[in-house]
Amino acid sequence: MPDPILIVDDLAVAYDGAVQALRGVSLRVDTGSVVAVLGSNGAGKTTLLRAISRSLGSVGGAVTAGTIRFEGEDLARRDTSWVVRAGLVQAPEGRRIFRDLTVEENLRAGGYTVRDAAARKEASERVYDLFPILAERRSQRGGLLSGGQQQMLAMGRALMTSPKLLLLDEPSLGLAPQLVEQIGDIIAQIHAQGTSVLLIEQNAAMGLRVADRAYVLEVGAVTAEGSSAELSATDDIRDRYLGVGTSEPAPTAPGEERAETTTGLQRSSTARAQQLRVEDLTVRFGGITALSDVSFTVEAGTIHALIGPNGAGKSTCINVLGGAYRATSGTVHYGDAVLSALPSHRIADLGVARTFQNISLSLEASVEDNLLVGRHRLMRTGTVSQALRLPRARREERAEREAVRRIAALLGIEDLLDRSVHTLSYGDRKRVEMGRALAAEPTLLLLDEPVAGMTHGESTVMADAIRAVQQELGLSVLLVEHDMPFVMGLAERVTVLDFGKHIAEGTPQDVQRDPEVLRAYLGTAAA
Amino acid sequence: MSYFLTQLANGLSYGLILGLIAVGFVIVFTSTGVLNFAHGSVLLTGAYLVAVLQDPIGFWAAVLVGIAGAALLGVLINAVLVRNLAEANPGTAAILMLGVDILLLTELTRRIGNRVLPIGAPWGADVVTFGGITLPTSRAIAAGLAVVVFGVLWFLFARTGAGVAMRAAAADGDTASLMGIRLTRTGAAGWALAGALAAIAGIFLASFPSPGIAPTLALTAFAAIPAWVLGGFDSVVGAIVGGLIIGVVTALAVGYESDLHFLGRGLGEVVPYAVMILVLLVRPSGLFGRQEAVRV
Repeated sequence: MPDPILIVDDLAVAYDGAVQALRGVSLRVDTGSVVAVLGSNGAGKTTLLRAISRSLGSVGGAVTAGTIRFEGEDLARRDTSWVVRAGLVQAPEGRRIFRDLTVEENLRAGGYTVRDAAARKEASERVYDLFPILAERRSQRGGLLSGGQQQMLAMGRALMTSPKLLLLDEPSLGLAPQLVEQIGDIIAQIHAQGTSVLLIEQNAAMGLRVADRAYVLEVGAVTAEGSSAELSATDDIRDRYLGVGTSEPAPTAPGEERAETTTGLQRSSTARAQQLRVEDLTVRFGGITALSDVSFTVEAGTIHALIGPNGAGKSTCINVLGGAYRATSGTVHYGDAVLSALPSHRIADLGVARTFQNISLSLEASVEDNLLVGRHRLMRTGTVSQALRLPRARREERAEREAVRRIAALLGIEDLLDRSVHTLSYGDRKRVEMGRALAAEPTLLLLDEPVAGMTHGESTVMADAIRAVQQELGLSVLLVEHDMPFVMGLAERVTVLDFGKHIAEGTPQDVQRDPEVLRAYLGTAAA
Repeated sequence: MSYFLTQLANGLSYGLILGLIAVGFVIVFTSTGVLNFAHGSVLLTGAYLVAVLQDPIGFWAAVLVGIAGAALLGVLINAVLVRNLAEANPGTAAILMLGVDILLLTELTRRIGNRVLPIGAPWGADVVTFGGITLPTSRAIAAGLAVVVFGVLWFLFARTGAGVAMRAAAADGDTASLMGIRLTRTGAAGWALAGALAAIAGIFLASFPSPGIAPTLALTAFAAIPAWVLGGFDSVVGAIVGGLIIGVVTALAVGYESDLHFLGRGLGEVVPYAVMILVLLVRPSGLFGRQEAVRV
């Protein structure tokens, strides 16, 4: 048996001394291997990496039991700076590159602990070899790189110390399918150069492809482990993390409660979904054209998806529809109303609700309060009667809390209602955002990457929830998403954008066969 | 014309000194997130050390001690007070610094009393004249030295590993520490740099045409606050440009006060803040401040 480079034994971690994030987690990484950690949101994957890289302190976490050994050395009394020098480096979730520093300076910061100038130069040559695009852009500021290039920079930055063990937290988050493939290849290359890798990856297909071994983490504990091949073959993993194929709609998995999800939601008004018409929409920021002459129509009561590579203008489009950005030219009609001429609160009054790509919730408030904010538009009692707690206000509040509880149940976040949002994982926050949008009883729901950072199983639950509310409440949905099984299984029509231009539109089946779409976005995985 | 040029040269040299102070505000703010209202008394401490030591150990040795002393004072304030704050709340830290400022200033006032301590610089009250412009030698040296110091800072932040690490830590401390950068060290380095810059500025502010060191010198540091703010809080370049703008406008307002008497007297004290307000009205995040644009 090869020597282990990292041994985690019976690890427990708690936040603020109370919330238990990890319980009895044991795991080993053999020298020269790639190990993947799979798991749903809030399972504690990021916590695990932070415990290993000794960076829990800044987020209020602490190891309460167990040991972590790196090359036989107990890390209990070591800090981040020490482990980096010892050859263990973490590339954080969400890339977190230094936006105002140039590519070269980002790498320089990554190689800060390397005292020897020659070694540093050699490391940067290796990074530029691995990522030629970074060499091309070495004097450009990090913030100007595209999402995929930023991920490469984040990985390159971590490689500057020539680590023995690299920790990667969700390297494919928010990336288009063809980029995900490329990141997977790069991880394989890094491994081939002799670096061991511990990888957290929501895209289980990619994670299992590059990993030798994998662990499944659920609610803070390891529930399965084995070689990637063994795990890929188990039904449970296939259903919950892999899905079947990458280009077909996910078929109904037997035994899962997905056939009949009923919402128990009712409209408190008689509002109906209308047709949404986007006509010749153009948006420019300074000299950059984010959208150019884009037109499409979302029929009343249908689910419509907007897909395309990073930077294609999808979020910009959602932002114009929701009123956050102004259109430079072109119009957006919702029924008879002209959305592109209205401020965002008037758009909300028309029954348009949205979620945000970068999540925009009140972090200190509880989940329930965040959802109640979404009901604001529907509440009838005034501030004074609420403050005086008049019977009518109390009755309304009870009713509203009940409505919020039903929405939470539908999205599977019922148990989280009392938690404050800052304790939740990325994927759970996504669900709270979706819940807040639904709480407003919209007739048109705009969803920006609703399942980013979710496992296949979780995105299936989300898809069921969206389908259920769409059918029972008759609302229209326009969604932006990179998770192709999710999009293709859910959407009735798909519009594809590339560099701000409309390049294809049709049913999911048509779009997946369109050569232009394959080239620009899906890559070979779907071919 | 030569009167105008003289005022302009005066303003530019004064502006460069203000720039030294304002850059200190910026560096402390970006490296530890603190609005350092104790900066003025750190400056005064540095200048005070020079004044009392120049007689026994000579001016140049006293300058080195003064600069090192102010740097050390900054490091101590950071290590003892700032790092022990339970939560990184800029408000708490700012009030704490006001307290530190009052304590230091009270002690220095007690030591200085009503005296005005001469700085004892070899350039004394000399003036230089060229092309019809008359400028105190101290101001000419200050301007030249400030330019050199800014050049050194540029080299430090753009070309050295430690400087890049400081910028990385300022941009995203959590991520920087994942790269092995110790935030305690970048913070200490920031406070030390700011203290040293303040001491250099203090020495020149206490030189001719100023009579010497009095407790009011600490207040002069506050004249650099508009320069810091209008440059954009977190930009070193902004602080330098801000210092120049405030310096020139102040010098011109004072120089032409008799022509501007309809605006009343004491214009030089008001004008920096008026300029700051005007700039912020047009550019709310300052001239070089990071745009607080949030992508939704």
